[in-house]
Amino acid sequence: MASFMSLVIAGLATGAIYALIAIGFSLLWQTSQTINFAQGEFVMLPAFFVLAAINAGAPFWLAALIGLVISVIILGAMFKRLLVDPMLRHGVLPLAIATMALSIFLRESVKEFYSAEASPFPSFIPGTTIGFAGISVSLQHVGVVLVAIASVMALTALLDRTPIGRQMQACAQNPDVARILGIPVERMIMYTFLINGLLVGIASLLVSPIYLAKFSSGETLGLAAFIAAIVGGFNRIRGAIAGGFLLGIADNLAAAYVSTQYRGAVPLFLLIAVILLRPQGLFGKAEERTV
Amino acid sequence: MDNPLLKLDGIIAGYGSMTILNGTSFEVRRGVITTVIGPNGAGKSTVFKAIFGLLKLRAGSIHFDGQSITGWSPRRLIEAGIVYVPQGRNIFPEMSVRHNLEFGAVAAANIADLPQRIEAALDRFPALREKADVQASTLSGGQQKQLEIMRGLLLDPKLILIDEPSIGLSPLLVQETFAILKELRAKGVTILMIEQNARMALEMSDDGLVLELGQTRLHGPAHDILNDPRIAQLFLGGAMGAAA
Ligand SMILES: Nc1ncnc2c1ncn2[C@@H]1O[C@H](COP(=O)(O)OP(=O)(O)OP(=O)(O)O)[C@@H](O)[C@H]1O
Ligand SMILES: [Mg+2]
Repeated sequence: MASFMSLVIAGLATGAIYALIAIGFSLLWQTSQTINFAQGEFVMLPAFFVLAAINAGAPFWLAALIGLVISVIILGAMFKRLLVDPMLRHGVLPLAIATMALSIFLRESVKEFYSAEASPFPSFIPGTTIGFAGISVSLQHVGVVLVAIASVMALTALLDRTPIGRQMQACAQNPDVARILGIPVERMIMYTFLINGLLVGIASLLVSPIYLAKFSSGETLGLAAFIAAIVGGFNRIRGAIAGGFLLGIADNLAAAYVSTQYRGAVPLFLLIAVILLRPQGLFGKAEERTV
Repeated sequence: MDNPLLKLDGIIAGYGSMTILNGTSFEVRRGVITTVIGPNGAGKSTVFKAIFGLLKLRAGSIHFDGQSITGWSPRRLIEAGIVYVPQGRNIFPEMSVRHNLEFGAVAAANIADLPQRIEAALDRFPALREKADVQASTLSGGQQKQLEIMRGLLLDPKLILIDEPSIGLSPLLVQETFAILKELRAKGVTILMIEQNARMALEMSDDGLVLELGQTRLHGPAHDILNDPRIAQLFLGGAMGAAA
């Protein structure tokens, strides 16, 4: 039972990271029909911005900050301006394909110009294990869960309680209606890209100390976030959160109780089950779009 | 016309390389209902989009209440006192009626007494009060239109641009919607309306404006247009004039 609880907590940590990535993923879909197949690479990359800054002599806290700022600029603003805007004019599918190409480009670039090896990555939270009521818990896992939950809460507060957030919601529901209400739709879409840039940056800072910084780590993360978003209902933030946690826990339990070999299959089983039983996702609504 | 509320001067605009508005010019009197009629594809809806800043002008100018609003964003135009109710369904179907109303003011400058205004608006439309907290998708077509009009009214506009409000409504609901517009006119709000239901609309209007190929063909008292034999033949006879 104790080890079951430890696994659940580890699963919550993984799930919290998946949730962050999945939220960004579904935000982009909702406001601009962008299916970002490079989302996993977007999480892989900021860790290397941070490592580069550390190599240049910056202390970790500064390097982390630089990493976040760069990921907001490059993975947020530049991604939208240079890739999404020009491609979206040709349609949703060409854009999706372009993001697939981008994912390969980012992966191979890191491999080519940084390293093909996994690099250790510093952490704000010590990796010590604490005992609590007979359960041994990694402090790092607890920290990850707390930071991720705080991020999600900050984001939902922004969306629900601030005029900007409410305008973003309006754009997600229906950009044409938002426009006639005077909402600057283009600017709101840009904000969602910036938010995604920040979310993947945070996710990168959280995941890299656990799984190391590696050029190929985006593959699993991207797939997991994609599945979490679909499982939760592609068009809901709440769904992405639930989907992320569900996937994280299932993932960790399966690795321990079934087989590490089949671990990678768990998300796919979950995906197939949801598609068969509840195609609109656990929280989604058929044909409607909302935050 | 002295001191019109809205003045379009030589507007040239369109979609891509296609020119729809070909030097459109007209003026809209204050405090009256003006109905715009014209054949399908004449550019009626396009004029509204141009006025509301949704379409880039290639030439021409627009003045509102004495100042140039050429090139203004929808947000600025709303703040200046223009609201736009396009054709079709323009609500957030998944949100409650009340939330839809609140979102009407989300981009505009802070309206301190918004909750009171919403209450007052709900008092005016009992059918909507009944459904204030249920999803707007449950409203009938007429109620949705009323919701859109109401949402615009919360902003206390000087001018309402309304595109084919009667489309898809039962005759009774058309009457009701037109009654709301007349009520607004009585309060001093200026209304510029596009209507296919031309005869009925002109009968309650002060002015009529005939648009053809992106240009003003005729503009004058609604009664004159109703009685113009050419217009009667072109737009008021047959299917168009029949109460839809
Ligand atoms: N978004 C658009 N992109 C390209 N062409 C458009 C667009 N909207 C309208 N058009 C074209 O512009 C012309 C004028 O359209 P508009 O909607 O202004 O006509 P209208 O007078 O309102 O007609 P209706 O009575 O059918 O509503 C039409 O030929 C239409 O096909
Ligand atoms: Mg039209």
